[in-house]
Amino acid sequence: MQPTDSLPLATDPGPEPGAAPPGAIFTFNRDRDDIVSEVVAREVARMGGSVDALELSLNDAAYCEINRLEKAGKKQSPDLAFWRELHRTLGGKPLAEKEALFRTLATRYARDIVGNFDDKAYRLATRILPMGLSLILRPQGTSRRFVNLNSTLTERIRLQGHVSTLQALARKGTVILVPTHSSNLDSVVIGWAIYQMGLPPFTYGAGKNLFTNPILSYFMRNLGAYRVDRRLTHGLYKDVLKTYSTVLLERGYHSLFFPGGGRCRSGAIEQKLKLGLLGTGLSAYINNLQKQRPDPNVYIVPCTLNYPLVLEAATLIDDQLQQEGKSRYIIEDDEFAQASLVWRFIRQVLSMDVSVVIQVGEPLDPFGNRVGPDGLSYDKRGRVIDTRKYVELRGLPQHQHQRDQQYTKELGAAIADAYMRHNVILPSHLVAFTLFQTLKRNHPRLDLYKLLRLPDDAAGISLSEFYRTLEVLREELVMLADSDRIQISGVVRKGPAEAITANALRSLGMFHAVPPLRRADERVSAGDMKLLLFYQNRLTGYGLEALFAEEVRA
Amino acid sequence: MTTLELTGRPRVGVLGGGSWGTVLAHVAASAGNPVILWGRDPETAEAVNARRRNPRYLPDLELHPGITATTDLAHVGRDCGVILVVVPSHALRETLATLGDHLDGSHILIHAIKGIEPVTFKRMSQILLEETCCKKIGVLSGPNLAKEVAMGHPSATVIASGYQEVITAGTEILKSKTFRVYGNPDVIGTEIGGSLKNIMAIASGLADGLGFGDNTKALLLTRGLAEITRLGVGLGAEAPTFSGLSGLGDMMATCFSPLSRNYQVGNRLAKGESLEAVQADMRQVAEGVRTTQTVARYVRTHGIYMPITEGIYRILYEAIPPKEALAALLDVSRNPYEGDAGKRAARVP
Repeated sequence: MQPTDSLPLATDPGPEPGAAPPGAIFTFNRDRDDIVSEVVAREVARMGGSVDALELSLNDAAYCEINRLEKAGKKQSPDLAFWRELHRTLGGKPLAEKEALFRTLATRYARDIVGNFDDKAYRLATRILPMGLSLILRPQGTSRRFVNLNSTLTERIRLQGHVSTLQALARKGTVILVPTHSSNLDSVVIGWAIYQMGLPPFTYGAGKNLFTNPILSYFMRNLGAYRVDRRLTHGLYKDVLKTYSTVLLERGYHSLFFPGGGRCRSGAIEQKLKLGLLGTGLSAYINNLQKQRPDPNVYIVPCTLNYPLVLEAATLIDDQLQQEGKSRYIIEDDEFAQASLVWRFIRQVLSMDVSVVIQVGEPLDPFGNRVGPDGLSYDKRGRVIDTRKYVELRGLPQHQHQRDQQYTKELGAAIADAYMRHNVILPSHLVAFTLFQTLKRNHPRLDLYKLLRLPDDAAGISLSEFYRTLEVLREELVMLADSDRIQISGVVRKGPAEAITANALRSLGMFHAVPPLRRADERVSAGDMKLLLFYQNRLTGYGLEALFAEEVRA
Repeated sequence: MTTLELTGRPRVGVLGGGSWGTVLAHVAASAGNPVILWGRDPETAEAVNARRRNPRYLPDLELHPGITATTDLAHVGRDCGVILVVVPSHALRETLATLGDHLDGSHILIHAIKGIEPVTFKRMSQILLEETCCKKIGVLSGPNLAKEVAMGHPSATVIASGYQEVITAGTEILKSKTFRVYGNPDVIGTEIGGSLKNIMAIASGLADGLGFGDNTKALLLTRGLAEITRLGVGLGAEAPTFSGLSGLGDMMATCFSPLSRNYQVGNRLAKGESLEAVQADMRQVAEGVRTTQTVARYVRTHGIYMPITEGIYRILYEAIPPKEALAALLDVSRNPYEGDAGKRAARVP
């Protein structure tokens, strides 16, 4: 599908700063205690007063926590002492005490997770951010104090796809935005897009490690972000987290999930999605039906974030290339931790003539069906679906764990499919793919790791061959795009190869210490092979590698 | 409360008045369920309702009185919570286009169709998902020669679905002392095994028709299973499914039975008849003929090594004499992994 309702932001500046759009988030602080107690009450109820269930949950938590704290070398930590004591004495405690302990822990975790929303911070952010950015962007030597920020940001952040459908659905039910995730800047970019679309801020779970930066933390904490402690792996914590998300959705808080888990390490479009949090959309929907709420619907909106240049590319691909199992789940010492680097990156991205593209995909219901701007679900033949029927047993809406998991699995598959179809190919991806695949074809005996260590003189090809190959790929991409299987940027669609290459060299050559590729003496050659791999990975999964297959030998 | 009752519609629907559809309707009715049997042909419906017979396909079986035949799909959608879909694969989309207007998300659909859609290479469950709004979808497949099930010989089948509810519903409605249902979450493996074994049944009929003995047959079947498994795993199936009832089990029944239509096709081809002649006087479609073409074309473009399928394809569609094709299978000078099937010419300079 072509972007049906691309929203040119320049002509639609969104609401005036300060004129906040309506949304549940604005009453968050008033409801916060209520939300926490609802979460805790549901968790306690889930245990159903069963000694076995309580013991299993508490023991599992103790086991995971003792393990984690011991491995982290926190031998003297009071936490470790607490869990050891719990583990030692749990068996002998009466039921009431076990339940009280469970309640205490659930409350502690819920309070740790819970976010905040400060209207003042929101107004400050929506006013300060543009001013700050326009200061950075002030052209050298001009006397104008501010450049027109709206026009600059709209050129740099392009928002396209099913934007108006998303806007309409946010008024009809609760929206879960599920973007691809490649950079810590994603939540900022998405936040900006949400604001520009005239929607209230979305709540989202952010890794606890991101809250260490005091300025970032201030804004995240006050703009509806809640904290996810990814070090905690036990069921008790994860269930509290899921229930927290469910309660927020039921109360109409639009939410942002990154279903790929952490930032995508490889640079490819995510295809293995985490279903745990995603399933809370369906739980909320069923609860809403049971409570006969007026706007029970939950809409899941996939979208892709497409950067011509990724701040953390080097760290991410390094992590990807670590031998399996050794890769780090939480990266704390990447480019993002250096404020000056983030600053330089933003400044450079904003001063380039390339854009970050946010492609909003077609909204889905919790079962993976397409949803129209009218808020109704449609099957693949265009019939309206009564989604209640999926969860009814004898005419009543019911949860059913195994069935609901399977529905969520199908939703996950629909999102993964939407990611592939809404992936926007920018010149940097195409150029990186062309060079990397050609080098791979030219060195058939090398495995990936040897290929990455290709000596400089072997890591290039002639410019004319490069252009010819790129053109073949470009034509193939245009065909894929016309049959709705991928999106391509205007430059890629229009060509020619020379213009695409020039565009890519400008963006890729800008920020990275060693650029992924360079052009010199009528040759294109790899600079940093790993970065080249990172950017080319965005084009994997479409079968394009087959175009480089060896000639059939007679 | 049974799963059928939970759906809110009290009847079992069966789409398709061929032999397998009729037998499944009979089994479901014998288990105590009111059954609606849908077929296109008004005369068959009339015969079922008035005389409890399906004269075209199963003249000897007296059908259970719990079966009501109809030619109205809306009737099936309205009254049946669980619907068994047993129409020929090529008629599936058309049937669902109408039935789909009368379905909602609470319906459970279980198909018992062997076959893969030509060109798109879609499995039947994928077509069910495309043509209806239903999600609770499953497949029934196993070593089930319709006539033997009808006679009450002990047999078993597999219902595969991602939804436990579908497996439970299917098991409940087909419960009988002589027919056992096993559940499996692997829909892809169950569908691929059930569809592709028809190719091996043709091969088996060929071997017998050519007068070869058990060595040859064992060779064809084990290597046949290996290539089916290879394709299936590539499509996302679990390998163990292929050694189960719906894989090896179904293949054994089909390949050893002269009752199987696909076996008969192979057998008569070996005796020198042409494909057209064989097909002309078969009342029901031999799905394996179409499946061979669909699969052979797919593996040629995707570079998957399936020599037996390739051989059967050449016999059926390229008029290669059967003996020659079988001999080519045994030619050790051809290294299987250096075949040129499926390799495409490079498009980039």
